[in-house]
Amino acid sequence: MKRSWYCLLLITSGLVLSGTGDFAHAAAFEPTKPIEAVVHTGPGGGSDIFARAIAELMQKEKTISQRMQVVNKSGGGSAVAMSYLAEKKGDTHTIGFFTGVWVTNPLTTAAAKVMISDLTPIVRLVLEPAVFAVKADSPYKTMKDFIETAKKNPNQLKQSGGSVTGRDNLVRLVIEKATGAKWVFVSFPSGGERIANLLGGHVDAMVIEPQEAGEHIKAGNMRVIAALTDKRLPSFPNVPTLKEQGIDVPVIPQARGVLAPPGVPKEVVQYWEGVFDRFAKSAGWRQYLEQNQFEDGYLKGPALNKFFDELAVQMREVLKEAGAKVVR
Amino acid sequence: MEALTNLLLGFSVALTPGNLFWCFVGVFLGTVVGILPGLGPAATIAMLLPLTFKMDHTAAIIMLAGIYYGSKYGGSTTSILLNVPGESASVVTCLDGYQMARQGRAGPALGISAIASFVAGTVGVIGLMLIAPPVARFALRFGPPEYFALMVLGLTMVVFLAGRSMIKGLLAMLVGLWLAGVGTDLFTAESRFTFGHMELLDGIDFVVVSIGIFAVAEVMVNMESRGGTELFKVPRGIRNLMPTLKDLKDCRFAFLNGSVIGFLIGVLPGAGSTIASFLSYGAEKAFSRYPEKFGTGVIEGVAAPEGANNSETGGALVPLLTLGIPGSNATAILLAALILWGIKPGPLLIQDHPALFWGLVSSMYVGNVMLLVLNLPLVPLFAQILRVPYFILYPGILGISVVGVYSVSNSLFDVWMLGLFGILGYAMRKLDFPAAPLVLGMVLGDGMERALRQSLMMSQGHLSVIVTRPLSATMICLALAILIMPLVNKVRSFRLKAVEQDV
Amino acid sequence: MGEKKELLSGICLGAFGAYVSIEALNLPYVSEFGPGPGFFPLWIGIGLTLLSLLLILANFFALTPDESRERQSRLSIGRALVGWSGLILAIGLLQWLGFGLSLALLTLFLILVLERRPLWTALSVAIGLALGFHVIFVLALGLSLPSGPWGF
Repeated sequence: MKRSWYCLLLITSGLVLSGTGDFAHAAAFEPTKPIEAVVHTGPGGGSDIFARAIAELMQKEKTISQRMQVVNKSGGGSAVAMSYLAEKKGDTHTIGFFTGVWVTNPLTTAAAKVMISDLTPIVRLVLEPAVFAVKADSPYKTMKDFIETAKKNPNQLKQSGGSVTGRDNLVRLVIEKATGAKWVFVSFPSGGERIANLLGGHVDAMVIEPQEAGEHIKAGNMRVIAALTDKRLPSFPNVPTLKEQGIDVPVIPQARGVLAPPGVPKEVVQYWEGVFDRFAKSAGWRQYLEQNQFEDGYLKGPALNKFFDELAVQMREVLKEAGAKVVR
Repeated sequence: MEALTNLLLGFSVALTPGNLFWCFVGVFLGTVVGILPGLGPAATIAMLLPLTFKMDHTAAIIMLAGIYYGSKYGGSTTSILLNVPGESASVVTCLDGYQMARQGRAGPALGISAIASFVAGTVGVIGLMLIAPPVARFALRFGPPEYFALMVLGLTMVVFLAGRSMIKGLLAMLVGLWLAGVGTDLFTAESRFTFGHMELLDGIDFVVVSIGIFAVAEVMVNMESRGGTELFKVPRGIRNLMPTLKDLKDCRFAFLNGSVIGFLIGVLPGAGSTIASFLSYGAEKAFSRYPEKFGTGVIEGVAAPEGANNSETGGALVPLLTLGIPGSNATAILLAALILWGIKPGPLLIQDHPALFWGLVSSMYVGNVMLLVLNLPLVPLFAQILRVPYFILYPGILGISVVGVYSVSNSLFDVWMLGLFGILGYAMRKLDFPAAPLVLGMVLGDGMERALRQSLMMSQGHLSVIVTRPLSATMICLALAILIMPLVNKVRSFRLKAVEQDV
Repeated sequence: MGEKKELLSGICLGAFGAYVSIEALNLPYVSEFGPGPGFFPLWIGIGLTLLSLLLILANFFALTPDESRERQSRLSIGRALVGWSGLILAIGLLQWLGFGLSLALLTLFLILVLERRPLWTALSVAIGLALGFHVIFVLALGLSLPSGPWGF
């Protein structure tokens, strides 16, 4: 009897020791099946293209060992995607590609219950700059011209853009507040329609990303009259920023990055941070940034959390000023 | 002629064995995708995008475009055979196509659909080739007021779809308009009629409604009585499985009508092939010698909309390739693909990449021929589906419906909605409410409301903007004319009756 | 007999129209520029109610052509509803049993109960359909369908 107890003791202590041995060398996380990358747009939308481009680059440069598959969860702005991620609590093989909408959407939509603070931020990758563009044959050569005309004829000029809580409109609102000018905002769901209406003369201006504008400027259809950034854009060296033109307004960033579902273990976060660290330094990524004229907005860790908090505060303020219903 | 040299350049690119192969792959996949209800070209192109990264760009765009216009060929198959709209643009084809199948004329219906698609598709490519730039510039003149007028014009098609009771048709249309409004308001981000369901924030998917109201309801109607073994009579012999020469002759106007309307609507970003097919059907009925027969299995009622949704693809490529403006979901992904490959579509695409552009255009000619050759022989094969006994076919249709709906956004909620719309469709059948106006309202409701509000935003609240601009005013007048027409006809028939009675 | 249809649908749609109008009043009628989100639904609701009244009235005055309609047999409607309930049940089972099984069960139900065919036929069709769907949609086309405990 005593001997069997002794054996049992030996075996259990052996197991325990080997167990603690494992704990001592915490296994670094390595994905073992394809990664699901959640985006909040349908196929062809901005986030979708961004995620697919990154997936392709990562495949080429073998930054990750598994395939990355883009999953479209569009609906209610970012509501469906965010709640999908929230439900995947602890899932180590799912990530999400966020944009600024993920911060603002829960502020205005009651049904969007998941906030960005509920999810696990990993890294911010880019800041998408924007420019203020008018039709090439319009009389506005500088931002000042546009503002002056808008001041003299309130609500006569028109700007095409996306949703009223999107960056296009928020830019307009902060400029209006700072200058006293007023002009109309007309929402169009698709980028194509916004451009078509500008080119067709139905609206006078729009906020557009430089890489989209580039083609139309080369063709002589559009003119950029202001860069909505802190510094001048390398692709438009002759276009002054708003600040340079005397309009001192905060820059409203359109950020893009990656996050993970809630409750994801620390090793997984570390793994992804490592992946994106390497990825951000790769030549392919640098080239992609240049081609698309994105600003490198690499940010992670506590700085990233701070960015989200500050963005939420800024958005809340701007939205309230705009008269939009802020529910959170 | 510059066009000729460009075309020769294009064919030299398109007819290389590699590009021919990829063209075939594209149109084949497109046909399959079109046949399957629910799964659309947009999602398929998105799925295949990663595979194209290693391919030569011209070959890749040829293949993806093949999927795009190929899907319009297949969409009519299930519409005609099973009353299941394969694609949103094929809903109109269900109206006469399915009736033709019930009369044993499934073969001719499928055949004319393929032929009309070929004719109109080719016309669309010709349009793209010859008149793309000026048409694109013309399309730019369409602002929100013009879109609103176009949508109103589209809604007047209810006059042609309502069948016997105009009141019921209007009621169905209003329900459709309401369904379109469910979701999040674009302008104010307020949610409407979502009943707290997050899944409804993006609105109700059109596919769910159309498959529910058409397919599921149809199955339910047929479940009412124990079926025999065969569904419809399927005539034997190749001759009865193809459209006759008389059929082709009858459809001359339909071919023209479909091609022109489809192309023009396609050029307008945002107006889709569904609107094109409705407008084309309405126009065909308006100018027909026997309008009252539409809805009972008239072959022009299949040829016109099927042609329209094919030439629309040619039209939709116009703003994409000349201005870099995508007109629909599928073209948006094509745009994304081009951007990902480093080719920037825009006004300079034709200049910077002539081989790509003309190669693509030429490949579309080739593709259309391939599709005709692919689809026509399949007609007798598909017609045999109708030989399958009821009790196997009906669970199959329900299965396809569920798969189709689920494949849209992988949402079980959508499948529940399918059940809901199924019983709604059944109730409509029992109470003699026409389904087409509901679909019409749903398709156009969003666009119309948006266009009106955009117009009012632009004009600071002055409605007059719609009638002061020439293009929109013309369309509104046309719409009014169409609305007054049935009243005029009623008056005329009263008068005739009065005259007869007097005599 | 024919009037019942119009009466029933008229009342239902009229009520629905009233509901839509009332809900629409909760939404802002006008927004910053032009009509707000409540504008269209309100008018749709009003239109529905008015037209429903018109429908009921037109029926009373027999303005709509009265065709001879065959008496809707309760039995036939009942059968259709039974089939529909089967579908709903199958949809409910999708989450737990997966697509393949649910389809098979639905097929079994439809063939056995509605069509009253022999068990052997029902089973073979059910299994055949479920397999066929799996092969075509999941394996060949790579669509993802709800899967149950056994992976299909």
